[in-house]
Amino acid sequence: MNTAIASSPDRQPTDWSADAMQRRIRARYRAEKRFRFYGLFAVLLSAGFLAFLLVTMISSGARGFTQTQIALPVNFPASDIFLEPSQLDGDDRDQLLAQTDFQGLARQSAIAAYGEDGPAFLSNGAWVLLRDAVSEDPSLLTRNETLWVPASTEVDFAARGDSGMRQSEERDTMSTRYAELEAADQVRRTLSWNFLTLADSSDPTLVGIWGALKGSLLTMTITLLLAFPIGVLTAVYLEEYAPENRWTDIIEVSINNLAAVPSIIFGLLGLAVFINVFYLPRSAAIVGGLTLALMTMPVIVIAGRNAIKSVPPSIRDAALGIGASPVQVLTHHVLPLSLPGILTGTIIGMSRALGETAPLLLIGMRAFVATPPGGFTDPATVLPVQIFLWSDELDPGFVEKTSAAIIVLLLFLLAMNGIAIWLRNKYEQRW
Amino acid sequence: MNNVGDMMNDATDTQAESRADAPALAQDTLKMTARNVDVYYGDKQAIDNVSIDIGMENVTAFIGPSGCGKSTFLRCLNRMNDTIPIARVTGQIELDEKDIYDPAMDVVQLRARVGMVFQKPNPFPKSIFENVAYGPRIHGLATSKSELDEIVEKSLIRAGLFEEVKDRLHDSGTALSGGQQQRLCIARAIAVDPEVILMDEPCSALDPIATAKIEELINDLRGKYAIVIVTHNMQQAARVSQRTAFFHLGTLVEYGETSDLFTNPSQDRTKDYITGRYG
Ligand SMILES: Nc1ncnc2c1ncn2[C@@H]1O[C@H](COP(=O)(O)OP(=O)(O)OP(=O)(O)O)[C@@H](O)[C@H]1O
Ligand SMILES: [Mg+2]
Repeated sequence: MNTAIASSPDRQPTDWSADAMQRRIRARYRAEKRFRFYGLFAVLLSAGFLAFLLVTMISSGARGFTQTQIALPVNFPASDIFLEPSQLDGDDRDQLLAQTDFQGLARQSAIAAYGEDGPAFLSNGAWVLLRDAVSEDPSLLTRNETLWVPASTEVDFAARGDSGMRQSEERDTMSTRYAELEAADQVRRTLSWNFLTLADSSDPTLVGIWGALKGSLLTMTITLLLAFPIGVLTAVYLEEYAPENRWTDIIEVSINNLAAVPSIIFGLLGLAVFINVFYLPRSAAIVGGLTLALMTMPVIVIAGRNAIKSVPPSIRDAALGIGASPVQVLTHHVLPLSLPGILTGTIIGMSRALGETAPLLLIGMRAFVATPPGGFTDPATVLPVQIFLWSDELDPGFVEKTSAAIIVLLLFLLAMNGIAIWLRNKYEQRW
Repeated sequence: MNNVGDMMNDATDTQAESRADAPALAQDTLKMTARNVDVYYGDKQAIDNVSIDIGMENVTAFIGPSGCGKSTFLRCLNRMNDTIPIARVTGQIELDEKDIYDPAMDVVQLRARVGMVFQKPNPFPKSIFENVAYGPRIHGLATSKSELDEIVEKSLIRAGLFEEVKDRLHDSGTALSGGQQQRLCIARAIAVDPEVILMDEPCSALDPIATAKIEELINDLRGKYAIVIVTHNMQQAARVSQRTAFFHLGTLVEYGETSDLFTNPSQDRTKDYITGRYG
């Protein structure tokens, strides 16, 4: 047959060196080069966006991790507080400390050190530091000691040479005062762990992200614990056991649609079901976790089904052929081989859940929570909601705190994805 | 064997046309029997009324043109067709006189007793050791680590692979060459110590040397297992098998002693096929 075609009179032998051929070859090389360039361009563009985001966030947020502090000389023995170190040995120590007017002490000391407007240099919560210092070291009460306490937002802004939203004349006085303070070494700017250990507050010099971070951790724990096993088991059932009938089709279509439902709808659902029907506490990590699990599960189901589907049938045949039971085939071969795909879906779903704000607002996680949650049922907020709340604050001191919170959120995301990618690579196998 | 041959000849003499329908193995050497087996894929019939006997210490070869249903029928013998949702099997297949399609039959155990080597090598994406150890492990055939090591080593030796891989038992099984992979699959199948081994064109991807090794292996295994081998290679069927079945378009055309079938086929279709006139 082949010889018949080759030798047929109306078909010339192909001339591979003809001009048209050469042009075609050159065009092919050009097309390949162009295509590679487009790909490279896309990669550089997205890397550029990412770098831009990181640089802006870090440059404006890095300051959020620091604190402007002011030196406050406190003369404990000469003050109005009549506490003896020995009194603090007893069981009623906390009560005694609570009854003592540290607020007044801070005020007095500020006036003594910086004059009439001295108290305006201190953060509203500076007295808490005095109390904590005394609690830690009762011998302070017998001494005259200079403590470093957080400065007020105004001082902080003067330190930055930034007007914030204050009126200009107020700013001018503050910056001259600040220059004096600085010359006398009475202010300093230090890295402070406070931002990472405190919770929300109405005073921007005293806010911390730990409350929201812990809220996010608790919420994500619930989400992962529910969405991962339920999602994987659903995927396994639909792929391996479900009979092919109308019901299976309906379930499949529903799950696919669920993955596309706007997240705020899940918030309404969570409100209606978990809070109004099951009477779970409002604003709690458990309700947030349940709501986000509803949202994450379909993503894991879809990714899981695709991963399970892509396990080569020859592997199943091999295992069945030496007498593995269907469950053994599943747990020994199919699931380990599809784990990378399942984990990829989980990363996508969990990242989306971590950044979710809208549904959590509806279930009350936008409440002002000044103490980090102790457990799953305590009032809590989460990182994105905290960012949303702070970005809404009038006080300009919250601006850098908002950026700092965004940095923390991004780091959380990176850590979460890093763990998942590490797990995925660990289980990645070729066939 | 003589006995078998005699019976075979008797059948041929009296009923030449339906030689295939005349099972001619003595009762005590029978391992598996199939009676009036039909297989359908959906509406399409792939196997039409096949009856066959598989001898106990004997190699049976299935030959026939591509698409005639050899693999389909082979997969009936350990119920691997169960995994194809549209496949439907009717008729009766017995292993040691027990109906394997009986609801009381445990399919998992059946597949451990009737092992299978597939047309395409399909090692697990695990180490060589794990590939072979998997079967014994899930069936609890070894009580200690050393016993397991021994089973793995023995199986690899019998499959003629041990010398090549003994230094890298913990390397991936998928990194072996095609022929080595196929021998690994054979080692994996014999590690669970089956009674019957079904081989679907085990040499189709192998070079002559690897093929010779596997044929040698089949010869060695013959005394211990009942072996069924599907092959497109007439010489191979003639070399390794004692009995040969010729399939065509889903029917069993002729079944008999290999020497008879190749030297003196009773059907024209068989003759045409083995002399290479079609297929
Ligand atoms: N899973 C399946 N679904 C539908 N039809 C199938 C399926 N497997 C096989 N068939 C059909 O059944 C018939 C027999 O196929 P089978 O694989 O048994 O042939 P074979 O003799 O093994 O061929 P080969 O020598 O090429 O391997 C063919 O017509 C094939 O198209
Ligand atoms: Mg086949």
